[in-house]
Amino acid sequence: MDLMLQTLANALIQSGTYALASSGLALAVGVLHIVNFAHGEFLMVGAFVAYWLSVLAGIDPIVSLVPAGAVMFAASGVIYQAGIRRVLLGPELNALLLTFGIGITLQNLAVLAFGATPRVIHTAYQLTAVTLGPVSVGVAPLVTLVVSVTLLAGMYAVLYRTGVGKSIRAVAQNRTGAHLVGLDVDRIYLLTFGIASALAAIAGTMVLVRIGASPHMGFGFVLKAFAIIVMAGLGNLTGVLWASLVLATAEAFVRTYVPGGGGAAEAVFFLLIFFTLVWRSWRPA
Amino acid sequence: MRWAGPAALVVALLVPLVPAGGYQQYVVQVTTFVLINAAVALAWDIQARTGQLSLAPAAFFGLGAYAYTIAALRGVPLPVAFLLGPLVAGAVSLGLGVITLRLQGLYFAIATLAFAEVVKVVFKELPLDLTGGAVGLTAPPLLGGHQTGLYYLGLGVLLLVVAASLAVRHTRLHYAFTATRQGELTARVLGVRVVATKLLAFVLSAALTGLVGAYATSRLFFVIPEDTFGIGLSVTALATAIFGGVYTTAGPVLGAIILRSLEEGLRLVLREGYLAVYGVILMLVILYLPGGLVSLWNRRSRDAAGGD
Amino acid sequence: MLLAATSLSKRFGGVAAVRRLDFHLDAGEILAIIGPNGAGKTTVLNLLSGVFPSDEGRIVLDGVDITRLPAEDRCHLGLGRAFQVVQPFPEMTVRDNLMVGALFGSRQRSLAEARRRTDEVLALTGLADRAAMPARDLTLAWEKRVEMARAIATSPRVLLLDEVMAGLLPHEADEMLAVVRAVCETGVAVLFIEHVMRVVRDLADRVIVMDFGEKIAEGSYQDVTGHPRVIEAYLGTEDTNGA
Repeated sequence: MDLMLQTLANALIQSGTYALASSGLALAVGVLHIVNFAHGEFLMVGAFVAYWLSVLAGIDPIVSLVPAGAVMFAASGVIYQAGIRRVLLGPELNALLLTFGIGITLQNLAVLAFGATPRVIHTAYQLTAVTLGPVSVGVAPLVTLVVSVTLLAGMYAVLYRTGVGKSIRAVAQNRTGAHLVGLDVDRIYLLTFGIASALAAIAGTMVLVRIGASPHMGFGFVLKAFAIIVMAGLGNLTGVLWASLVLATAEAFVRTYVPGGGGAAEAVFFLLIFFTLVWRSWRPA
Repeated sequence: MRWAGPAALVVALLVPLVPAGGYQQYVVQVTTFVLINAAVALAWDIQARTGQLSLAPAAFFGLGAYAYTIAALRGVPLPVAFLLGPLVAGAVSLGLGVITLRLQGLYFAIATLAFAEVVKVVFKELPLDLTGGAVGLTAPPLLGGHQTGLYYLGLGVLLLVVAASLAVRHTRLHYAFTATRQGELTARVLGVRVVATKLLAFVLSAALTGLVGAYATSRLFFVIPEDTFGIGLSVTALATAIFGGVYTTAGPVLGAIILRSLEEGLRLVLREGYLAVYGVILMLVILYLPGGLVSLWNRRSRDAAGGD
Repeated sequence: MLLAATSLSKRFGGVAAVRRLDFHLDAGEILAIIGPNGAGKTTVLNLLSGVFPSDEGRIVLDGVDITRLPAEDRCHLGLGRAFQVVQPFPEMTVRDNLMVGALFGSRQRSLAEARRRTDEVLALTGLADRAAMPARDLTLAWEKRVEMARAIATSPRVLLLDEVMAGLLPHEADEMLAVVRAVCETGVAVLFIEHVMRVVRDLADRVIVMDFGEKIAEGSYQDVTGHPRVIEAYLGTEDTNGA
């Protein structure tokens, strides 16, 4: 029983990071209607920004989420202007291929720059844990959960309680209509893409704190993010929270209870994605 | 440009005979990799003509490679083991296709990506005595490892894939594939069996890729999940096809000649991370030259009878 | 009866788009469906051609129950369809667009047979001069011509046309009318949706009027246009209390 509670606690913590990473993707998909295959690499960029700030300037990674988010926000602006906006109106496959190319490029540039071996940081609080009843939770993961929840709450607040958020939702629902009532669709796309990318980068810093950073880390995350948003249904932001919880819980249980769980856990996601997609497609046309 | 194909063929036939002194082995080796890349890119292109973006060529390549290797190591005569490559890849793709081909563009791409990862993980986790686990297996070389013979076998494989690509272009399949890609619902209402068409393209593409995989083991010497099923090959395949020009036969071949040669040059300088170049090229082509290299020729002479 | 639909129904969520519709079409006949926007006319065509399945009802084509058949099979049995929002294959030439219909629309045709059929239809529909143009370079009127020609190339016995006159200038509509007449002369039965009344008057043997998913009148053009319910559907009644 204790083991199960511990597993659930781990799942909860992990779901925070997944929700943060996926919400960004869900935002990009829901508003711009393209799937950003490079989303995982944006997460990786955030992780590395935080890593270097920690190693070179001694800045605590949790604090680095601000510069990490800012760097990615700015970088995504450049990426949007130079590339994304030009494929938005074309065939869907072009956008997929473009973002796929961006992802591959970023990933391999990171390999060239930093080498493929994963990097880990060491902070004071990484080894301390908090005990809540039968469950023991590390301080670092707990902090990441708090950060994730706060940011997600902030994102929802912006989307549903501000004028800008309303504009974003309008563009998501009807691009032409929004344009006709005077909204600058291009600016909103730019802003939304920036927010989505920044969220990914911040999720990256969270991952750095709990696990580490490596050039290939993005790939696994982007597949999991896809699994989550597909399960939630494209465009359904609240569903992302539930789906993150489900996925994280499945992962945690496989890790704990399945012998040799590490590799099998990976296969679990991919199979989950696979079957969710297939299930959704087999609904009568 | 009609003479380009036969000319390239003549050049390819003569490669092992060119006196290059100490570099002879190296030249043949690089050219063999060009052939392999061209074949995989061409096979991917066949399937792309129905409008589906598959990110799983590496999975079928690997399945073909492993099928050959495992069979050969168990004493199956090499020619038979060789044919098991496309058979296994084709069979698996049939199952996968039936399940996933109803998915629309984006979802299909993700599903194939997920599938490719599952295959890789599965092969890593399988027991060592069955598939070599994460460590892999050493593949018995075809034709006893005879270098020149292997080169011509590779050329033969490429020619087979070229033939398939040309067949798709010059038969009724061209209309079925193109209509499916440009308007699925409309195609259906006009009587095109869209699902069967997509499935045919998918299985044909996978089987050919599996054939190349089985052949490639003689050049790569061993199969190992991380590399054989790695996404690198998928990226290379699609970047090559798109760079050269999708929906054409010349495009992927041209793309392979240029890009693989470039890659060989880069590899001398950068051990890893050269995939970045493929990523950059993919981005640049999509943004500035979506039709690929061959579209530069077509701008001058519109092929009216051919459509596309 | 060549084509017969009985008790055809389709709901989308809470909205009944088509309600227990019965009608039939005889060989060689030209039947028009008219009605206000949102009456369910296009949905009927979608149900007939197999774009989506009906919730209830049966569709029989020349004795064959096609209710559960997929769109491709219905086409092979002789049902041709031109869409309201034209969808030519953009990157293909006009000729290649028609070739798709000619190759796959009916019994297996060889490439040579399909080419002959395509030439026939190009001549019939006046598209011969534009055969080599990419479809995306055409103006709307010519796109609509291609849309219809493509359906004709499948050698249908029943042709379903959806507002083919919409958006056409008067002289373009006249030309299109001549093409439809030429097609009917080859013995094809036509079921068409139309808002341009003079086309309905000049072309239709029989007219069906729909409103809110139901058939509210049927008969000759004269019969239905004088029918009080039809007038009410289009124009409303004099005394409407706050509706």
